[in-house]
Amino acid sequence: MEALRTKAKELLAQGEVQVVIGYEAGTAGVRRPCFVRTAESAIRLVWDTNCIGNLAGYLTRPEIKRFGKPAIVANNAVLRSLLQLVAERQLQQDAVLALAVAQDGVVTELPTAQAVEDYLAISPGGLSAADREKMEHLAQLSREERWTFWQRELERCIKCYACRSSCPMCYCGHCTMDCNRPQWVSVPSHALGNLEYHTVRAMHLAGRCVQCGECGRACPVGIPIHLLTCYAEESVHRQFGQQAGTRAKLDYALGAFRPDDKESFIR
Amino acid sequence: MSRIGVFVCHCGENIGSTVDCQEVAARCKQMPGVVHSEDYKYMCSDPGQSMIKQAIEEQGLDGVVVAACSPRMHEPTFRRAVSEAGLNPYLCEMANLREHCSWVHEETDSTTDKATDLVHLQVEKVKRNKPLQPIQVPITKTALVIGGGVAGIQAALDIADSDRKVILLERSPSLGGHMAQLSETFPTLDCSQCILTPKMVEAARHPNITLMTYSELEHLEGFIGNFKATIRKRARKIDEKLCTGCGLCLQKCPTRKISDGFNEGLGMRRAIYVPFPQAVPNTPVIDIQNCSHFRKKKCDRCVKACPTDAIRFEQQDEWITVDVGAIVLATGFKIMRSDQFPEYGYGAYPDIIDGLQFERLASASGPTQGVIKRPSDGKEPETIVFLACAGSRDAAKGVKYCSKICCMYTAKHAMLYKHKAPHGKAYVFYMDIRAAGKNYDEFVRRAIEEDGVKYIRGRVSRIYEEDGKLIVKGADTLLGGRPVEIKADMVVLATAVQPNDGQIDLARKIHVGCDEYGFFAEAHPKLRPVETNTAGIYLAGACQSPRDIPETVAQAGGAAAKVVALFSRDRLTREPLVAEVNRRPSPIYSDCVGCFLCETACPYQAIGQETVTDRDGKLYKTMAKINPGLCQGCGTCVATCRTKAIDLHGYSNEQIYAEIMSL
Repeated sequence: MEALRTKAKELLAQGEVQVVIGYEAGTAGVRRPCFVRTAESAIRLVWDTNCIGNLAGYLTRPEIKRFGKPAIVANNAVLRSLLQLVAERQLQQDAVLALAVAQDGVVTELPTAQAVEDYLAISPGGLSAADREKMEHLAQLSREERWTFWQRELERCIKCYACRSSCPMCYCGHCTMDCNRPQWVSVPSHALGNLEYHTVRAMHLAGRCVQCGECGRACPVGIPIHLLTCYAEESVHRQFGQQAGTRAKLDYALGAFRPDDKESFIR
Repeated sequence: MSRIGVFVCHCGENIGSTVDCQEVAARCKQMPGVVHSEDYKYMCSDPGQSMIKQAIEEQGLDGVVVAACSPRMHEPTFRRAVSEAGLNPYLCEMANLREHCSWVHEETDSTTDKATDLVHLQVEKVKRNKPLQPIQVPITKTALVIGGGVAGIQAALDIADSDRKVILLERSPSLGGHMAQLSETFPTLDCSQCILTPKMVEAARHPNITLMTYSELEHLEGFIGNFKATIRKRARKIDEKLCTGCGLCLQKCPTRKISDGFNEGLGMRRAIYVPFPQAVPNTPVIDIQNCSHFRKKKCDRCVKACPTDAIRFEQQDEWITVDVGAIVLATGFKIMRSDQFPEYGYGAYPDIIDGLQFERLASASGPTQGVIKRPSDGKEPETIVFLACAGSRDAAKGVKYCSKICCMYTAKHAMLYKHKAPHGKAYVFYMDIRAAGKNYDEFVRRAIEEDGVKYIRGRVSRIYEEDGKLIVKGADTLLGGRPVEIKADMVVLATAVQPNDGQIDLARKIHVGCDEYGFFAEAHPKLRPVETNTAGIYLAGACQSPRDIPETVAQAGGAAAKVVALFSRDRLTREPLVAEVNRRPSPIYSDCVGCFLCETACPYQAIGQETVTDRDGKLYKTMAKINPGLCQGCGTCVATCRTKAIDLHGYSNEQIYAEIMSL
């Protein structure tokens, strides 16, 4: 933690970055995002096992961009998001200085997307063991049971769009959900509209989801909605071998074909 | 409020017999926005079109729905009629009551109900139609012909003769292609080179043709009328301007034993070579894989021999970029080789040869000066067995199609052999004789009746060698499958015609489709046989499917006519049914977030980028931009775009949604 504070202080003092996006202590042991803009306030930064939120979502926000060049305290999920954002041209290769913090508190500076790629190649990370267990449990259910499970879960959705707001890949300025000419998805939070919303979101994230699980954590009613997007992502990985958040070069399975694709119909 | 007119066509009995057209017209009157509705026997006829024009003028219609046949059939007709009445043609839509309804259903009430629904969809759509203006694009009036065989030469000459510039590209060192290898041609038995070489020379001398041999297309971008082609001109290692084609270097070259590709491996050539004496251009090429100078860094005999100092060992490949408006693909074919037949010894027997090798043996300019000799020992064979359909029409070999030319050239081969060796025996194993063509069947009959070629209907199961003879085992299916065994001196396989090497790579480079075998796909098998699905790229010859010379030349002329027709205009008019990235007021500018997932999804490379900068020139936003000249209106980007920032003119999201919601 001290190493992180020192590093942040140094970067801000030297003017290498204008803002350090990190975690600070919230109430009841919760860690909340903070935006450190002066060397003196670097003391606010915290790093421990409770720092699990994905901060990458802030990188594409116009109000954060206005601060200047950011450094971001990064776990692996943040790094994967960073790569995918670069691939989708939302960030320049060297626009963000990632501060990867290891378990033991050692801070590694990753100034470019290439550096992030190399760092992740060693320890990619992914779904937590608990989530993996839930995914496997769902996979074992029959189609009807799974359908009932999701219907029951999605019934509780209040369409607050916290999942969308927290997702680093939901950076669109104008979401399909807000499109009203035509009104593709109905606004009220009834069963059909909820199902439509979450299915569309999962499809939009298939091949793009970095499996950070942030949407599930953000849900105020506790729907494990990240399992849906992660499942879509893993299906794409299984079928096409492409995985979001592993490369800074765009490789979107659902929008392109490869000459050596195993399916021949597309030729 | 919209003022829509609905016109229901009976299409004679086609629609009228199962759909109550009068009832449909009556129901349409009740639809909101419809102010005029009528039915008529033939809407596409002159009186029918007049009804539409009259209604537009009298009722002041602002949208028209014609409920008739497929829009593929008559949409242009009705759009023209509508525009003649002063309405934008894109305010006219068609409901397909024929293919989508009357042809596929019985005469019931629900058929009429469905017809009404189909019209209702289009009424809802046309309400949201916007007037569109055709897109104009300029045309570069130079054609690129890829392939310098007879197809390419013919297409290039025809285009050049209409005073248009042509770049003729050939990847081998000389023009000519497979036709230059042939001995005589069916059905008239005139010498192939005698009729081809004058064309080759003409192509080379033509002031409108730029000849680029030993060159390949490396990369293509752009669209109809505006292609940009990058051509790789391989280094001949010879200064083409200085070389006089005297051939002294060829004589001095010490590397003599290289298998000669032009002679199908039956002869030898040197490391510096001209493929054949009549080659155009008559400039040699140094084969750097075999040349001692490049392999051992010491020989320079050609340099010493050259009277004009034209040898350039240091010469490098060049990349040349040219602007062209149209492309003719004439890349030809290859044949399956005899080593792909396990039943015929996997190519282990040198006296089992393929059709092209036989052509070289029979050719007066070939390795044997036209005397038919066995490759193994040089003896003149007394019995030759010809196998038609070797590989063709054989699903196990991956070739389900008929190679088309083999029946004729096998008859020709047998006939040529009988002319050269009247006492020899010629047998032909065949499945069917397909000799459809002018004077073709007469030619085959002549081989059988006058020249005494023995035709046996059946396939050959095995060929093996015994006592210096090739034992050909087959069956005569006309005699109830009686086994036949022939002791032959030589066997000629009429092997399957296949797409040329690199054809699929080329197809990918230039974005044209291929069929399941790898031949280039035409836009429509009957009505657009020389066009590909990519506008501005045309087909000639055997790169599309197996073809003989007359057909190839005819198709090349057809492709040339298409190119000339394209070039006859100064600007190209295209349908405005293209996708567009939406615009919003600043500071949003567009719903596009610039993720460019659409860029990879676009099959036509129509998506580029557009930047918005602020007053100080600082980059504010990068977003996708669709080139309307390239866009084909397929809608893939619309489906890919998460933010719905892209919409397709004429088929907007709003229109499709309204159609669905009308049901």
